[in-house]
Amino acid sequence: MVQELRTETKIPYCPGCGHTVATNNMVKALGKLNIAPNDIILVSDIGCCGLVDPLLSCHTIHGLHGRAAALAMGVTLGLNNKTKKVIAVQGDGGATIGLQNLLEVARQNVNMTLIVQNNMVYGMTGGQISGLSQEEFKETILPELSSIPPFDICLLAHVAGASFVRRIIGRGDYSEALAEAFAHKGFSLVEIVGMCIPYGIDDIRELTKISAQELTLENDKSVFSVTPENKSSLFKSIKYIEKKYKSNLKGKMSVLIAGSAGEGVQLAADLLTQAGVASGLYATKKGEYPITVGTGFSVSEVILSDKEILFTGIDKPDVVIVVSEDGLRKISKNIGEDSLVIADHTLQMPIHNKLFTSEFRKAAGKKGAVLSAVSYWLKMSDVIPIDALRNAVSKHKHAKDLMTLTE
Amino acid sequence: MESKLEDRITLLDGSRIIIESAVAAGAEVFTGYPITPANLLYAYAGKRFPVFLPAPDEITALQWLCGFSSVGKVGVTATSFPGFALMLETLNMAYLMELPMVIILAQRLGPSTGSATAGAQGDLLLLRGCISGGYPIPVFCPADFKDCQELTHQAVKAAIQMRTPVILLTSKEMIMTNRSFDLNEFEEKEKVSLKYFENGKPYKPYLADEDTMVPPFLPLGNNQHQVRINSSTHDVNGFIQKATKEALDNTKRLKVKIEEGMKEFNFYSLNEIDEARILLVSYDISSDAVLEAAKVLKTRNVLVSTLILKTILPVPENILSILEYYEKVFIVEENLSGLLREILFGIQSQSNIYGINKIGEMISPEDIIAEVSSN
Ligand code: SF4
Ligand SMILES: [Mg+2]
Repeated sequence: MVQELRTETKIPYCPGCGHTVATNNMVKALGKLNIAPNDIILVSDIGCCGLVDPLLSCHTIHGLHGRAAALAMGVTLGLNNKTKKVIAVQGDGGATIGLQNLLEVARQNVNMTLIVQNNMVYGMTGGQISGLSQEEFKETILPELSSIPPFDICLLAHVAGASFVRRIIGRGDYSEALAEAFAHKGFSLVEIVGMCIPYGIDDIRELTKISAQELTLENDKSVFSVTPENKSSLFKSIKYIEKKYKSNLKGKMSVLIAGSAGEGVQLAADLLTQAGVASGLYATKKGEYPITVGTGFSVSEVILSDKEILFTGIDKPDVVIVVSEDGLRKISKNIGEDSLVIADHTLQMPIHNKLFTSEFRKAAGKKGAVLSAVSYWLKMSDVIPIDALRNAVSKHKHAKDLMTLTE
Repeated sequence: MESKLEDRITLLDGSRIIIESAVAAGAEVFTGYPITPANLLYAYAGKRFPVFLPAPDEITALQWLCGFSSVGKVGVTATSFPGFALMLETLNMAYLMELPMVIILAQRLGPSTGSATAGAQGDLLLLRGCISGGYPIPVFCPADFKDCQELTHQAVKAAIQMRTPVILLTSKEMIMTNRSFDLNEFEEKEKVSLKYFENGKPYKPYLADEDTMVPPFLPLGNNQHQVRINSSTHDVNGFIQKATKEALDNTKRLKVKIEEGMKEFNFYSLNEIDEARILLVSYDISSDAVLEAAKVLKTRNVLVSTLILKTILPVPENILSILEYYEKVFIVEENLSGLLREILFGIQSQSNIYGINKIGEMISPEDIIAEVSSN
């Protein structure tokens, strides 16, 4: 014996309210489909129609205004269980607040039903017009907006990809029409145009005359669901760095590397950082580039130290490596009096007493200039052995091309 | 410098650690909308979470997460202020519905869209008041890589144990900077699981356990007991009730639930130096500068103790007594007006409480040393 879906709680709506008719039809439709209350999850929105929870003995979740479709979508995807029927209920107000949510569930065609109870007004707040109010209805309360047409929520959902939409003018017994929507596999949206006695249309003939036509539209579409998938640890895929080189560095050394987007600045900085770690140092690295990553400057900050690094900012870097105009423009203000500067020969560098230039771009090409400048610096200093850099390069997928740049 | 066989030294960023730790702790779902500087979190989540759903906006992302949570699947999302602002109403919903989840808030420079790629610590007061009525929401904040693992784990655990949304507060530099790190420093962690109501009695969804003040959980859609979840003021059965005693008692319970429940989640690191009369206080990325400044000051014979807060909200009671003990307290944070300072000390200025503040770039050890030396 299936438990009664309708509880004994008294209907909270005004006499004649369309929500009462809708509730009775819903109960009847679910009864026809013989779905047990524990297999039904009702997701209700804010507004008069959201007072439905206590009337039903199924699972209920009462959320925010406009968000029933999104919340119900989470419930449906989370349950991932075809025997459970998720039904979201909202009014015309909720439908416009959460229009994006409604379109998204239609687009993805998740297996649930959304009922939009359109009474053309916001009943709970005193009868203001909504985005779903018909022109003729607006004429009576806000004539200056009566020329603006309403959204057709059924057409919107259909175009967004809902596999089943139906508009019902809410009179009498329409449980069969509802049951069909509930039984549909995939997303079904039912707009029920109904009466609101104090503020909306209070006469069924008038409602039938003013409402948009009843309709049913279908899309042939697969149903979206997600099955949880166990994936391997993010630590599994990372490479460990073997400390097989020695560094002579005492204290902290900061390196600022600057060039142009797409020319390998971040890669060169990564390789330098790996080489530092392979030489027993602590290292940090961060990158900076414009939001439009494919153009303009690309800058990287590397810190190497024989002790644990706490603060990762750089004020005046110990070493500046700059190989392009974009890069120079970005970092010229950061060059300190004591910074050692390695620059491409073509750059207009300010006068600086520790400046070394070479034809990096000409010799190594624009994509090789940075790494060859980093190698140049390592060979002239004794911070970390060049072999440590070469070893890092050897593990890269383009090792062959890159290796020549370190020579 | 010989490499030991057991060394697991690598270069990594905080985002990877946080996502790995969240899944290891038992989080199953990630929903989100990409936003700088939380993009790496989103990218890693796609590779690691059993369920990963890209949402069309942040409101949808959090609503989906609530749906998953209501059927017993605990989830995570990550965002920054602009996205968090959109999530605020749904966060309140999750709080009153008592749905476990973790929201990672990666701070960046505001107001408004501000600068997406500049770090900041500007959202603490927002978090202090983000639940309408001023109800406490747990806020954990990692200060280093070990914390990224530990506090993410604790955030998931706290969310599940107290049935509540929890904020993991972080910022751009913490989750995007690469650092060398030995993975052996991480501890193996047990998965935390959501315990279900098992009592034979009728289930009342908001009838709380008398000790923990947490109502036992059952997923929507289960076959045994009807579940009613509600985001409006409600009674123990989950029915809407306007300001009845029973419903107000249920709402009041939420405050006590978090305050009591958070007692076992009190994380901070205090480095007390004998005879120091100065305390440097910080959280998140500015902690690095504080610890480095303290080392330098020591070489100059200026003794300072340091306090790094990791459970920031609700403020643990013992933190106040630590603060009281010092003659001078410096609060270091990357914002202009001193948000943590206001939370700890209010708006009335006190002659022995100093703020070290800055926006647009990280506060440096030199900034701190200069302030401490001149006061
Ligand atoms: S105000 Fe209108 S929608 Fe609300 S209960 Fe009354 S008739 Fe129904
Ligand atoms: Mg309405």
